[in-house]
Amino acid sequence: MIALRRTRIDVEAVLDTVRRQDAGAVAVFLGTVRADPGVRALDYEVFGPMARAKLREVADAARARFGVLAMSIVHRLGHVPLGEDAVVIACSAPHRAAAFEACAWTMDEVKRIVPIWKSELPPSPAKARARRRRKDRAGPRRPRASPPRRG
Amino acid sequence: MRVRVRLFATYREIVGRGDLPWTLSEGGTLGDLLEDLLAEHPGLKPHRGSMLLAVNREFATRDVRLRPGDEVAMMPPVSGGAP
Repeated sequence: MIALRRTRIDVEAVLDTVRRQDAGAVAVFLGTVRADPGVRALDYEVFGPMARAKLREVADAARARFGVLAMSIVHRLGHVPLGEDAVVIACSAPHRAAAFEACAWTMDEVKRIVPIWKSELPPSPAKARARRRRKDRAGPRRPRASPPRRG
Repeated sequence: MRVRVRLFATYREIVGRGDLPWTLSEGGTLGDLLEDLLAEHPGLKPHRGSMLLAVNREFATRDVRLRPGDEVAMMPPVSGGAP
């Protein structure tokens, strides 16, 4: 399955698309939105028709190169909140080495040739103001009092 | 001849639109179009070396001859992130 989605990706459903009786391994990679300082979410933009074609090309190449049985790639678009999955890659193979390798190679290729761009969304102005207010109320930082001595 | 130029992400922001009808002389190449576009939108010049170019949704080099109606895409390097 190759798909671009604007809603949360159902990982189990993606895994089901690659399960096969002749597979002894299913590998999955989830690319998730990391809470870097000042980042509230990521926003993904796509050149849709070319991205779909390139995702198909990468999946076909992975099948040929690693002998994987099935490969699915689902990429999220638009606003993706912290911690949620931006990309899910799942593949099945007769043995685990091929599944692991194909999954890693596919993610690198997606980053290299699939026209999808991300931009960082900073915290909303209201949240940034609230954080500044909290900081102001707290006053200057003082060293913490040492614990009471015993005895 | 007329072609359609599409710009994405930061390039769209620099130019102010994502879709530009463009006219160039018959037999012009992708490189010719790029130079014309950079002359008209100098804000794109710093990106000249890293731009990904595609014609009709396939990556293309600057020597490719364009045909009427071609769709040319100018794209920043795709989403980074450390491996």
